[in-house]
Amino acid sequence: MATAVQTLDISPVGRVEGDLDVRVDIRDGVVVEAYTQAELFRGFEVILRDKDPQAGLVVTPRACGICGASHLTCAAWALDTAWQAEVPRNAILARNIGQLVESLQSMPRHHYGLFMIDMVNENYRHGKFYDEAVRRYAPFTGANYEIGVTVSGKPVEIYALFGGQWPHSSYMVPGGVMCAPTLSDVTRSWSILEYFRTNWLEPVWLGCSMERYEQIKSYDDFMTWLNERPEHANSDLGMYYRISEDIGLMKFGAGLGKYVSWGYIPHEDRYQHPTIDTRQQSVVMKGGVYDAKADKFHPMNQSFTRESTTHGWYDEGNNPVHPFNRTTKPMQSNDRDFNGAYTWCTEVAHEQLGRLEAGPLSRQLIAGGDLGEPWQHSDPFILDVYKKMGPSLWLRHFARMHEAVKVYRQIEHCLREFRLNEPFYIKPRERDGQGWGATEAMRGALAHWIEVKGGKISNYQIIAPTTWNVGPHDAQGGRGPIEEALVGTPIANPADPVEVGHVARSFDSCLVCTVHAHDAKSGKELARFRTA
Amino acid sequence: MANMLWLQGGACSGNTMSFLNAEEPSACDLVTDFGINVLWQPSLGMDMGENVQKLLRDCVSGAIPLDIFVFEGTVVNAPNGTGTWNRFAGRPMKDWVKELTAAAQFVVALGDCATWGGIPATAPNPSDSKGLQFLKKQHGGFLGANFKSKAGLPVINIPGCPAHPDWVTQVLVAVATGRAGELELDDLQRPKTFFKSFTQTGCTRNMHFAYKVSATEFGQRKGCLFYDLGCRGPMTHSPCNRILWNRQSSKTRAGMPCLGCTEPEFPFFDLAPGSVFKTQTMMGVPKELPEGVDKSAYIKLTAAAKSASPAWAEKDIFVI
Repeated sequence: MATAVQTLDISPVGRVEGDLDVRVDIRDGVVVEAYTQAELFRGFEVILRDKDPQAGLVVTPRACGICGASHLTCAAWALDTAWQAEVPRNAILARNIGQLVESLQSMPRHHYGLFMIDMVNENYRHGKFYDEAVRRYAPFTGANYEIGVTVSGKPVEIYALFGGQWPHSSYMVPGGVMCAPTLSDVTRSWSILEYFRTNWLEPVWLGCSMERYEQIKSYDDFMTWLNERPEHANSDLGMYYRISEDIGLMKFGAGLGKYVSWGYIPHEDRYQHPTIDTRQQSVVMKGGVYDAKADKFHPMNQSFTRESTTHGWYDEGNNPVHPFNRTTKPMQSNDRDFNGAYTWCTEVAHEQLGRLEAGPLSRQLIAGGDLGEPWQHSDPFILDVYKKMGPSLWLRHFARMHEAVKVYRQIEHCLREFRLNEPFYIKPRERDGQGWGATEAMRGALAHWIEVKGGKISNYQIIAPTTWNVGPHDAQGGRGPIEEALVGTPIANPADPVEVGHVARSFDSCLVCTVHAHDAKSGKELARFRTA
Repeated sequence: MANMLWLQGGACSGNTMSFLNAEEPSACDLVTDFGINVLWQPSLGMDMGENVQKLLRDCVSGAIPLDIFVFEGTVVNAPNGTGTWNRFAGRPMKDWVKELTAAAQFVVALGDCATWGGIPATAPNPSDSKGLQFLKKQHGGFLGANFKSKAGLPVINIPGCPAHPDWVTQVLVAVATGRAGELELDDLQRPKTFFKSFTQTGCTRNMHFAYKVSATEFGQRKGCLFYDLGCRGPMTHSPCNRILWNRQSSKTRAGMPCLGCTEPEFPFFDLAPGSVFKTQTMMGVPKELPEGVDKSAYIKLTAAAKSASPAWAEKDIFVI
């Protein structure tokens, strides 16, 4: 009995570009194997074939309603590099502000709407902070849930001032942006930002000023801060630490131990003549790869990217290919076969370093690394916590929370730097060519590859953070990042495996789980749970 | 008190994200003040696993009365009509949709994907996607032209990519407060109160439209986007310039041409080369004219407008 393997089919775990299902095998109450399955195919790459070169500006933001500005950013920079456009300084700032406010929006929305509601799960009813968690985080009625969900709409009001609406604007175009903001657009943006800070970021999220929070550079600094004042311990950041410690979230969900970021926020004075090869040295937040086991940092370059479809529902052979060489041929039949194909996601890898995890944790580890340009942003905090406490789902989400203040500061920078009398757009000449655009969506590394031939798109490829993270097993039998992070997860109650939800949601695989249990050998359902 | 169930098919979650921007009422207000009982929503629910499946089955059987079924995203039919390219809880989403729409008092298609098929249904429509009761302009869609929900209404179409949060929250409040009978729908089953007027209604560039002053390229501080940049504001029905986006602005106010995303043909011309952000013209005259205007009248109007155009109209107006 003790060694029986129980299999849970979790369908869906989350919806990023559609439904995510997870199958986990459990032995002695611990996950021993996991398979992540993306369950929706819409075929955006297929739709974009033979279309207007600018079609990606309309179509790709609609790939993901949560990361539309991030997709638009990639689509615009990809065309800029293909068309050899010049992008004026103001336009770089106006694009950055769109990317940044979308990320800031995602901070409370994911934290309250998707992540913390699991702390109200009745599996934790004996926890030290359960009553407080219910008071704060219960869906719709929790005090902080309501504040957080409502305030999450604020940052994207700034997006509307520059792009007209959020989500799904196409205001970034090759050569710049469509808007020509006025002084009152800028001053109103400041006011909205201030509202966000004084009504939520400082009093609710941090329990202190941004300046005090920014003094934290190490794990010890953080612990000093946590114990310094009750406002710190009782802030949502402090409460997250304390709840996580109490219910054991620092003990599982580690993952592959190899991390990737493209870096983002092109510097307004350093990327006005964008090319594929100069991007990585032109962004404020540096990109790279961190191999934690070897404790080594490596530069990242788009040419290292490889995609395979060994376990995906695609007829494209089993050899790893660069995105420029992908053909996107979906299989007609998508039956699930864990030895064969079981997902619409591909296996993304670095040609030498293998499978990598994308996301805020990756960004913040790389921010602490000894790589990049001296002027690029660096921050040792999360790397220090990683070295002191090791990886876990807790740290993955903690790194995300840590980014709120620095994203806020970058928005301030954009608003300060606009020179309203200078151009926001320089009309480019349309031409054929290859382009690449990248950014960091809130949930991680995003890039678009475009090839324009004969005045139309001959190939368009998107690798989203979810493609990195949700990818299936690979040809060598290695697991994808979420699959690997799930292995070792303790499941207290197989009828309600909230721990699987924590791990999946720490990757910002944002939506809900439906779970039913199967016998590993027969595939038949063992039991139906929680029918009350 | 009204039970609402909200599912996503071939979707990007953009309508959910837009919905979460709502104020007056906010998503939380709908629950706490207006008695909308959210049985389940992909972004907002706590229930997991068998609870959700039982809930869906109870909605289908009538054990739980389903007052409002909101669907976001396309109905995916690929491959070969099986719908397995979009599975939900272990079965094709389209099978759930068929059963739940039959059980619901009101069915709301939210966003372009659910209304007309939207971006996924753009040629070659790889996922064989349909809207609930339309495929592009063609009446019928997944449920068929004769479908009526239990309350006797066809699918209530709230298009837009995404839909503005107010367009859906106000309809939900109307249902919750017993005023759904007052909803008037147009030929495309859109609530007239939102979709009778044009996107251009209330646009800050209307004077430039009247005097035929064009924004000839992006980033300018004057001009109408209709003449050169492909704006569809005069041919598109939406309240985007009456009910502002994110409480602040609209695409045309910010300098972005309307793409016509509340109309069934969106994205227009299937994004053929040369069609994006460019007005399609013939001998200098836009091929598509403002709704109801004929070509010879348009040419006369242009001549009159240009001769009447004051000097200020050619100068920057949205200045710093």
